[in-house]
Amino acid sequence: MPNTRPDDITLVTGGSGSIGVPLLESLGRDGRTAVALVRGGLPVNVAGVQLVEGDIQSAGLGLDAGWRDELLTRVTAIVHGAALTRFDAPLDTARAVNVEGTRRVLEFAERCTRLERVTVLSTIYVAGKRTGIIRETELDHDCGFVNAYEQSKYEAEQLARAAMARLPVMVVRLSTVVGAHGSGAVGKPAAIHHAMRFLYNSLLPMMPGTDDSLVDLISTGYAVAAIRHLSERGFTRGATFHVCAAGEAPREAELIDLVVEAFMRYRPAWRRRAIEKPSIVELPTFELFRESVEAVADPVLRASVAVLAPFAPQLAFPKIFDDTQCRAILDGAGIHRDAIRDTLKDVVRFLIETNWTPPCRS
Amino acid sequence: MSHSTTDVHIAAIEYELPSTSWTLEELAVQGRIRSPVEALRTFGFERAWVADDTGERLATAAVERLLENAAVDPGTIDVVLYAGATAASHATRSGGLGAFTYPAAKLQYDFGFVNARPIGISQSGCLGLMTAISLGRALLTADASIARVLCVSVDVLPAGSTREILYNVISDGACALLLERGHGPNRIVAERQITKGYYWDCEALGNEIVAAYFPTARTIIGDTLAAAGLTQDDVAVIVPHNVSRRSWDILLQLTGLDAERLYADNIALKAHVISGDNFINLADAERAGRLRRGDRLLLFNFGFGASWACMLVEH
Repeated sequence: MPNTRPDDITLVTGGSGSIGVPLLESLGRDGRTAVALVRGGLPVNVAGVQLVEGDIQSAGLGLDAGWRDELLTRVTAIVHGAALTRFDAPLDTARAVNVEGTRRVLEFAERCTRLERVTVLSTIYVAGKRTGIIRETELDHDCGFVNAYEQSKYEAEQLARAAMARLPVMVVRLSTVVGAHGSGAVGKPAAIHHAMRFLYNSLLPMMPGTDDSLVDLISTGYAVAAIRHLSERGFTRGATFHVCAAGEAPREAELIDLVVEAFMRYRPAWRRRAIEKPSIVELPTFELFRESVEAVADPVLRASVAVLAPFAPQLAFPKIFDDTQCRAILDGAGIHRDAIRDTLKDVVRFLIETNWTPPCRS
Repeated sequence: MSHSTTDVHIAAIEYELPSTSWTLEELAVQGRIRSPVEALRTFGFERAWVADDTGERLATAAVERLLENAAVDPGTIDVVLYAGATAASHATRSGGLGAFTYPAAKLQYDFGFVNARPIGISQSGCLGLMTAISLGRALLTADASIARVLCVSVDVLPAGSTREILYNVISDGACALLLERGHGPNRIVAERQITKGYYWDCEALGNEIVAAYFPTARTIIGDTLAAAGLTQDDVAVIVPHNVSRRSWDILLQLTGLDAERLYADNIALKAHVISGDNFINLADAERAGRLRRGDRLLLFNFGFGASWACMLVEH
């Protein structure tokens, strides 16, 4: 059940991320008493949300004594979204934030006297190098991971699952959030947006993948609505949900076509460049190209490959994420996915109009 | 595959390299390469051939040998197509009237091609010779009065210039070949060329060109094979341009062409002889006994400009 008493607090970690900001805005709009644990402030002012200085890597979340005591007695719900999402981070660095940070949050949760719900935000890519159908109930595998981010989130989920016996914990695995449906707004360009920029600038020769590779993307609005509902009325202790595009995800080749079509639609002069679409290649071919570029190429080309290298190999492990459990709950609440192909066009338009540098919000 | 008397064949090929070659270590000592020696060696290069004079001697030697070995009467040449990648290749001197001293006309005079129309082909970069063949083929196909086309490519980089361009080691050299209608060892089955003017400023867009190279190459190779009704499996020998072996490894994986069928011997031995590569390699592969009658050969090349070209030849 959602917090209903005036002194109930929802504690949100990771409030400054591309999901954190719109999530806090949503909570603030609904009049929830939300406290955002932040380190060094937020990039925007969110009405109705109390900012509290803290750090998930520190004991007691780095809170001062006053806030610590107040939160321990008033928090009824925690949404743990803080994470290091850099795909090129070393494993030790990723673990320090994503695993140890989750451990600290769970330790804090155990001390909360009125706690009803802990929602741990994760990623569908804890599936790592698995292929085929990935179900919400599954976690354990020995297929390996494409990057340390995936591995550290997998290990964080193991902690969350272990805590389910003693805490009301639920895991929500998010797909790649590409931007806002309609406006196309992107809070902070991520790897996928940079890949689009490199394609726009003729610096993207190839992408690893297969004919069967789906690229699972969701809109910001769907992600926020799903998190809000699942962490409140739809909360299911011990469950794991996939918030993703599932079977509606475009194939890799279609995604490239959609992006190129949007370039030509929103920047007609781009057509004159006659830039070839990137080839979809097997992983060894991509790796050979990457090694060659790293050996001799200049910084611009190296940068383009460096953006792709930590995440794009995921496409060489085709999989489809099953979201049956999640849909069963969200359908009942009238929460539906945005048409991702339209969202993608909106995002491309936004990126072109802002030259991949979204304006600061205030 | 049926043959026709109107098909165009590459009847003879000869080439000439400078008398001097430099190892990678020597090039490094002279500051003529930018990348580490080991990196370039990993890419398949060993040496570059460096001329100590103009391209005229190289072109003359290649043409002379071709006329002699193919027993060609200079008076039977109808067209001379003279290709050079750089502006310097198209004027024997500079300044004033010197800028109009064309080497194609001199070649016509020196060899007595009295019935030939000399035509210069520039601005195709390393595709110069392939463009010449394409135009020669079109002339032979369209005009029955033309029976023999001599294509010549000459490129000599300015003295002291770098020998490394976009991670490839560059040699000087000249290549001459004879096109005839109806007979000869190498029948041109199909050819395609794409030019993307966006990349015209190769100094500013070097990275973009490297990135565009692979997907566009894949497209044109696929299109050329499809135009000939062939598949990758039908290609007996891939006759490359001598850019890095590493780039060929990537391109072969990208196109599904069999790496075992790549004739790559000359990448280390001769490096990238600007526009002569494919046909120098074709001549050497034949002399090395690598080609059998009826073999389908795939020739691919790229030139600044930027242009991509693919040609299918039946040996």
